[in-house]
Amino acid sequence: MAIGRKKQGKAERTPERGGRAGSSVLWGAGLVLLPIVIAAASLCIGRLGLSPADVIASIRGHLTGGEVPSAVIESTLWRIRLPRILLAMLTGAGLSAAGCAFQSLFANPLATPDTLGVASGASFGAALGLLLGLSLIGVQLAALAAGGIAVLLTVLCGGGRNKRGLSGVVLAGIMMGSLFNALISFVKYMADTETQLPSITYWLMGTLGSAGYGELALGAPPILIGVAILLLLRWRLNLLPLSEDEIRSAGVNAGLLRGIVIFCATLVTASSVSMCGQVGWVGLLIPHICRMKFGSDHRKLLPASVFLGAAFLTAVDTAARSISPADLPISILTAMVGAPFFIFLMRKTEGWQL
Amino acid sequence: MKLTVENASFGYKPDAPVIKNLNLSVESGTLAAVLGPNGAGKTTFLRCLMGFLRWDAGRTLLDGEDILGIPERKLRSRISYVPQARGGGTVSLPAEDMILLGRTGKIGLFSTPGEDDRRIVRQIAGQMGIEHLLSKRCTEMSGGELQMVLIARALAAEPELLILDEPESNLDFRNQLVVLETLTRLSKEGMAVIFNTHYPDHALTRAAESLLLFRGGETVWGPTAEVVTEENIGRAFGVEAVIREFETPGSVYRSILPLRLWDGGSAPRNEDERVLAVVSVIFRDYEKAGEINALFHEFRSDVQGRMGMPSGDLHVINVILSGSAARIMTLTDRLNRLGGVRAKATVAPEEGEIRW
Repeated sequence: MAIGRKKQGKAERTPERGGRAGSSVLWGAGLVLLPIVIAAASLCIGRLGLSPADVIASIRGHLTGGEVPSAVIESTLWRIRLPRILLAMLTGAGLSAAGCAFQSLFANPLATPDTLGVASGASFGAALGLLLGLSLIGVQLAALAAGGIAVLLTVLCGGGRNKRGLSGVVLAGIMMGSLFNALISFVKYMADTETQLPSITYWLMGTLGSAGYGELALGAPPILIGVAILLLLRWRLNLLPLSEDEIRSAGVNAGLLRGIVIFCATLVTASSVSMCGQVGWVGLLIPHICRMKFGSDHRKLLPASVFLGAAFLTAVDTAARSISPADLPISILTAMVGAPFFIFLMRKTEGWQL
Repeated sequence: MKLTVENASFGYKPDAPVIKNLNLSVESGTLAAVLGPNGAGKTTFLRCLMGFLRWDAGRTLLDGEDILGIPERKLRSRISYVPQARGGGTVSLPAEDMILLGRTGKIGLFSTPGEDDRRIVRQIAGQMGIEHLLSKRCTEMSGGELQMVLIARALAAEPELLILDEPESNLDFRNQLVVLETLTRLSKEGMAVIFNTHYPDHALTRAAESLLLFRGGETVWGPTAEVVTEENIGRAFGVEAVIREFETPGSVYRSILPLRLWDGGSAPRNEDERVLAVVSVIFRDYEKAGEINALFHEFRSDVQGRMGMPSGDLHVINVILSGSAARIMTLTDRLNRLGGVRAKATVAPEEGEIRW
């Protein structure tokens, strides 16, 4: 058994051309189908258990204009579960793509979508919005704006022409993150302990429960645009971990490329925080799992991260809303699932690399 | 292609110049070395040369056009840069993708490399003898392998000028030669190659022209034999160094050996000091005797005595000279350049007064 496994490992390192192409097509198809399959399953799973037949009957009813199962099923499926699944897929895909891009940008395997302080900034915006009693859309807009401002401040403080290169930006990001976390604490301190504080705290832990089509209409486009631009730039993302001189020598404007990546990742992260709070771990876990399997070439790595991220967060959120009647905050589950799984993968494979 | 640097100066601080009033020009097919002690500004010079840093005064011209006026993408496809390979790559891309990155400037913003790009990469890898590395990850490579991959990446842009930052540092003897042979081959194929090096020997054996940088901004540029001299190297590095020739059955090499630290006081070595030496000449073709005698005649003020030993078709001449070390080196050098003649100087031990 042990020998058999060893052989398999060796074959993976020096694969034959034909075999590699065939298996990569298979893996690609599997990755594209995975989120769809999980989303379909997720429609059936929940406190109100539905059979696939119910779901199909409802879809058929809508398509043909015929009879639909029941009002309860209708409302559960299309008013509650579908927007939530869409939100999970968008957020999972977006945070994975942003994390993947940041790990390459900062040539640091520990970089997350929040490295430049965007999630802290957006959380502060949302907490402030909740404190001021804004509407849900108002909270969302406040989060988007504050996330953008946090990154802008980070880049202004840490960027510019200095010898440290991007480590200045990373340090400024850490500072900005802790500054905004302090501001969040201040907002919590000011908040009414009976009504506002619980809602702020719950929101900060991250939940996809508040998802509706209204929030999605505002929050989905930034994520889709950010992910689409990153996907289009997938070849150039391979240049990111190199030094500025090397990027320039390849005929690419290093500052512009880095700026676009930071802009896209900020758009994605701020928007997902604005819809569902801070969802930890996805941006770190998923890109590394994909690196272990697909290598560091962003032509494969980035699409793989997008699809696996969407599948992962949909699955975890389905569990979060099914396990307990009280809708478990999603960050608790992503960490509890993610951390052990990640350590297992890291020990089993070559460890983390960029 | 002709790269020219005109009256160029650079300093990170106004009162601490790194390079002062430098003029040089490099043409296609030239292999040029840049030498200098740590901190003299070798990497800074390369970065200024390529336009990564701006000269405070002066400019770099590519075929007469200021490189700051050439569109970035066009410029970078003509001048390619190889950074120093730091032990093991930081990116675990396989070599093929790493080399492909060199073609990025040639493909559209949202495009990925195509079959043509991959063909060029395989061709370059074939010429460099690194096809076997193509599927190996950069993080798993030795320093020598990574350096070759980085050179291949720079070549993938199909440049006219290749600039390398200490390409043979941290490499073992064999890999140093692999890299130097590659640079020599590229320059013979018509590329202009400029490389920084810590090894004056590599300049002596490989580079037609050399630039020597001193701390404080002074520079010397010219044919390597005139730049890499005992005096210049001694002054630039603060060492007492000797340049000697040594023979193998095939050829004579010039090599530099640092002897001891020089404290910066008087000249590191008084080349005007008179020494006593035997210059031994060995040759087969008797026709050469005329040229050899003419040379000795030219140095007759130093010649103390001579003995000839014709032996069949091999001729040996031993000449005893008392003169300055520099003159004796020059004489030996010129004898060796006659062709078909091998000459070597042996300097007498320095004890006591020299009297013949």
